Amino acid sequence: MGLDIDVHGLKLTYDTHPVLDGTEFSVKRGDLVALLGANGAGKSTLLRCISRVLQPTGGQIILDGRELQQFKTKEAARLMAVVPQETTADFDFTVEDIVMMGRFPYLRRFQKEDLGDREIVSRAMEMTGVSHLADRSIATLSGGEKQRVIMARAVSQQPEVLLLDEPTANLDIGYQSMLLELASRLNREQGVTVIAAIHDINLAVHHFNRYILLSGGRVLAAGRAEEVITPENIQKSYGVPASTYRHPLHGVLQVSVVRGPRPRELPGGGASAHVIGGGEEALPVLEILSQKGCRLSVGPVSAQDSGCRFAHFHSLPVIIVPPFTSMNNEHRAEHFRLMREADAVIVPPIPFGEGNLPIFDQVEVVLKEGKPVYIIDFDGIEERDYSGRAGVLMQRMVDEGAVVLDSVEDLPEAICGVRNRDGGEEGER
Amino acid sequence: MVLICTVIAAMVWGAVAIAWRDVFALLADALPFYDSERAAEMPPVYRDILLQIRVPRVLLAAAVGSSLAVSGAVFQGLFRNPMADPYVIGISSGAALGAVFAMLGGFSLALGGFGAVPLFAFAGGISTMMLVYSMARVGRAVPVMTLLLAGIAVSAFLSALVSLLTYFAGERLHMVVFWMMGGLGGATWQQVQVMVPYALVGYICVSFFSRELNAMLLGEETASHLGVNTERVKKILLVGASLLVAAAVSTSGIIGFVGLVVPHFVRLVAGPDHRFLIPASALLGGALLIATDTLARIVIAPSELPVGIITALIGAPMFIYLLKKRRKLRYFGGGG
Repeated sequence: MGLDIDVHGLKLTYDTHPVLDGTEFSVKRGDLVALLGANGAGKSTLLRCISRVLQPTGGQIILDGRELQQFKTKEAARLMAVVPQETTADFDFTVEDIVMMGRFPYLRRFQKEDLGDREIVSRAMEMTGVSHLADRSIATLSGGEKQRVIMARAVSQQPEVLLLDEPTANLDIGYQSMLLELASRLNREQGVTVIAAIHDINLAVHHFNRYILLSGGRVLAAGRAEEVITPENIQKSYGVPASTYRHPLHGVLQVSVVRGPRPRELPGGGASAHVIGGGEEALPVLEILSQKGCRLSVGPVSAQDSGCRFAHFHSLPVIIVPPFTSMNNEHRAEHFRLMREADAVIVPPIPFGEGNLPIFDQVEVVLKEGKPVYIIDFDGIEERDYSGRAGVLMQRMVDEGAVVLDSVEDLPEAICGVRNRDGGEEGER
Repeated sequence: MVLICTVIAAMVWGAVAIAWRDVFALLADALPFYDSERAAEMPPVYRDILLQIRVPRVLLAAAVGSSLAVSGAVFQGLFRNPMADPYVIGISSGAALGAVFAMLGGFSLALGGFGAVPLFAFAGGISTMMLVYSMARVGRAVPVMTLLLAGIAVSAFLSALVSLLTYFAGERLHMVVFWMMGGLGGATWQQVQVMVPYALVGYICVSFFSRELNAMLLGEETASHLGVNTERVKKILLVGASLLVAAAVSTSGIIGFVGLVVPHFVRLVAGPDHRFLIPASALLGGALLIATDTLARIVIAPSELPVGIITALIGAPMFIYLLKKRRKLRYFGGGG
């Protein structure tokens, strides 16, 4: 099962505008290919050439060693099935009728669908989970259900090649991965060659094993995710700066589009804060303050910490301490400098142990100098204190004027308040 | 069933009433192997009225009605447009122009016993279809939307020409207007002989491609993904349906509403599958036209109304009733 597809120097011109400009790639039997690229890069056009809806003005598409145009229409439909982005289904066919249409290329004129066809159709509906909808009118289904019905029709076509043209564009996240999971199951279990044009790169990387990136009607890169999905390629194809990283939960390569500098007129504009430590506990603090437009500094953190990544991503000053070591004099000096430069110092609900307890002492120094300190504490420090002394230290700081907040939401307002009280005249309303 | 009942009713009622027993007797008597005593006792004028006037008229009505209904179903499916009717790509205006031209020109041309009017009408209808088709062609493909628009444009242009000619029609105005309202008056066996083969050819063409037409309802791209050779199917269906329409229009003038409403009616009741829709439309269309034609004959007997008036007068309220009852048209963008 599955077929090779070779595309040679494919050209297609709408009016005088070249949409495909010498597209060249080959897909091997049983590949599971995601076709990536910006709007207008030629993804859909390419798929429509392969599905023979459009006739290329130049070049060749070779399916299993045969030129595509040599196939009869029905023959091609027995080899290739297509799931489009959206199907207008505003008529009264039942779901079963629609899925049964997938048998069309196998039936001779006036030939009735036989038991074999019914069996194939009911298996296809079972596989895509639409059996219970069999007698419903297609017009009454939701977008997600409809798309699964179309998928069932494609399955009942028993194709060697499955083309999907942005099949998930109108679906919610649940249906999105369900649909792509179906496609990869067909690939896995029946060896069907799958080519899918897809917008959402971060979704695509979960389901596919080969990637083709189009740009301006040409193949910019093809291969494994690591080879194709790079900041340079994304910049070239989509025209936006991007970063790639491994997802902290599942380790899969992900893309994030960097936003430009934040506008200064945001409510927190001008106010600055230093956030102690990193990790999952500091991220919500960093996130909300960054949203509100505060200038931030971070540290001390270790180089692998998510707080450190955050600081790099946003180009923030950060104190980096090598893993499993304590702060040296240089770190300490830098820490004091950042805390003194900021309008306020914030202690997120990070865990405390002997290793990072000296940080409390340093915070206490600037607190005594009159620097506002905010301690975020949701559930009592005892829960995350591994030194047995943090509670005492915290209480001492509270006595010296540190403010304890039990929610992150109040933080930006508090910091802006500090700024105003200190007579910061710029940027405040 | 409905068709059979209306056939009988149509033969019984008329300006001269003939009892239904007598109708059967006369019909049976007409068969070569059977002689009816009852028929033999009746005045021969009854036999003439029935066999020479009513039977051909009923058959013609059936043929015209089915042709219009089937072609309406095909055009609605092909264009995926509920407003489409047999006249949507301008065949009627072309035929009307031909007919009016023949009437005003007073041509006495006759071919195979046909007057100039049906001949010109047929020629007008078919050439309009070809004109629209060639206008809508883009390269090798004929997009249905372009076809629809070209049809509307050509139709408007030809209608204007018809109006222009009608304006100068003078004392023949009555004749022109009457033709355009449509009617089956003066049906002859000869007309039946010519009409029926066209209708059959067209019908067979169309029913051959019912399954393709189902796939086309999902959109042309989807149809071609499923293995339908869309351009070829479109061409064949267009020619088939146009033959039906041109034959119908040239024998009976422009009878509105049958082609629009009958397919909708069948869809509302039985769904959109063309494998059922096409034959069901043929039967219902035939029955409806026989029934309305019978009414047209008897309401102001011994004079006749143009049957087109009756089809609209009866068909429209029936359709609206059905629409209301079903609340919404679930097919064709009717929501859902």
